Amino acid sequence: MIFRAVEDGDLIRQAARGNVEAFNLLVSRWEKRVYNYLLRLTANREDALDLTQDVFLKAYQNLRKLDDAARFAPWLYRIAHNEAYSMFRKRRPESDVADLPPVATETGIAVGGNPVFPIELSLAVASALERLTPEQREAVTLKIYQGFKFEEMAEILSCPVSTIKSRLYTALELLKIELAPIEARGVS
Amino acid sequence: MSCSPFDLKDYFFEELDGAERKQVEAHVTGCRTCREELSRLRLTGTTLLSLREEEIPRRIAFVSDPVFEPSAWRRWWSGFWNTPARLGFGSAALVSAALVVFALARPAPVQPVRLVQVPTVQTAQAAPEVSEAAIQARIDQAADRAVAARTRQLKDEVAAERQRLLMVAAELEVDNRRQHALFMSAAEYGPPRQPALEAK
Repeated sequence: MIFRAVEDGDLIRQAARGNVEAFNLLVSRWEKRVYNYLLRLTANREDALDLTQDVFLKAYQNLRKLDDAARFAPWLYRIAHNEAYSMFRKRRPESDVADLPPVATETGIAVGGNPVFPIELSLAVASALERLTPEQREAVTLKIYQGFKFEEMAEILSCPVSTIKSRLYTALELLKIELAPIEARGVS
Repeated sequence: MSCSPFDLKDYFFEELDGAERKQVEAHVTGCRTCREELSRLRLTGTTLLSLREEEIPRRIAFVSDPVFEPSAWRRWWSGFWNTPARLGFGSAALVSAALVVFALARPAPVQPVRLVQVPTVQTAQAAPEVSEAAIQARIDQAADRAVAARTRQLKDEVAAERQRLLMVAAELEVDNRRQHALFMSAAEYGPPRQPALEAK
């Protein structure tokens, strides 16, 4: 007898035929990643949770439009990206999203030049990420934390790979400078 | 400025294929500057990954709700439209539309006119003439039939009533005889006793 794990493709096909339980299993596999992606974008837990629910609801309603089950992840993150930026536009319709200042959160602490204890490392990283532009932060999130390839990121963000690389590499240079004091204290 | 054959960041992000990666690794082995740059990238990456993913505060689950589910028609249409059949359907629809437009726009052909002699029907002359006397006779016959039927019905009802009255009279006769017999018996055995008066 051959055992095969139930893959996302199987669940997607079943969910597209109206199997809610299959979709719930799919949600359980992806909800944490989508939530953390939206948390990096919004820097607000409540917003991230609300958006995550909206993302999966839209995904369920539009699952039949997904032609290739192998493209589920970029497709899902594309929905998440659109939902997040839709929320940004609703809250600040008069300004461009790229001009929005970093959102103040409970995780923000000063890093540059100040001593940072190892226990505060994750807070320092969060603070450094907040200093990036929203586009740079999203590129770092998709690449470093979500592990997408450049091609997939281009699909999610609807822009050329060259733009993705430009945002990511600029962000990486800034993060190197921001995190240098912490790294000098011995991150292994 | 890196002197690597390929961008060290592309190597760091694993966006190079196998041959390109080997070239970069060979270069880094002999180039101190690129080795240090790659080391800094790795250190930054490690630092960034110290930011752990958070658990989602509340699990998300859906229940089957017809409100959120497309109708059977929409499911069928979606399934149909996402198949190669849509091309055939589209072509057929286009041809049908063209035929309809052609049929509506084309002038109707003129048929040659031929005169035909149609015989006229003389209804007034052909109809049989019915006289007033005949009509009156038919009415009288119908009235006579109705009167005779009613008379027979009444006679039957009278006979039935007479029969019923005879039966009632016979029953009365029987009752009278029974009553007479009772009077005779009472006279023979005397009046009934009155126990209450005797006790006093």
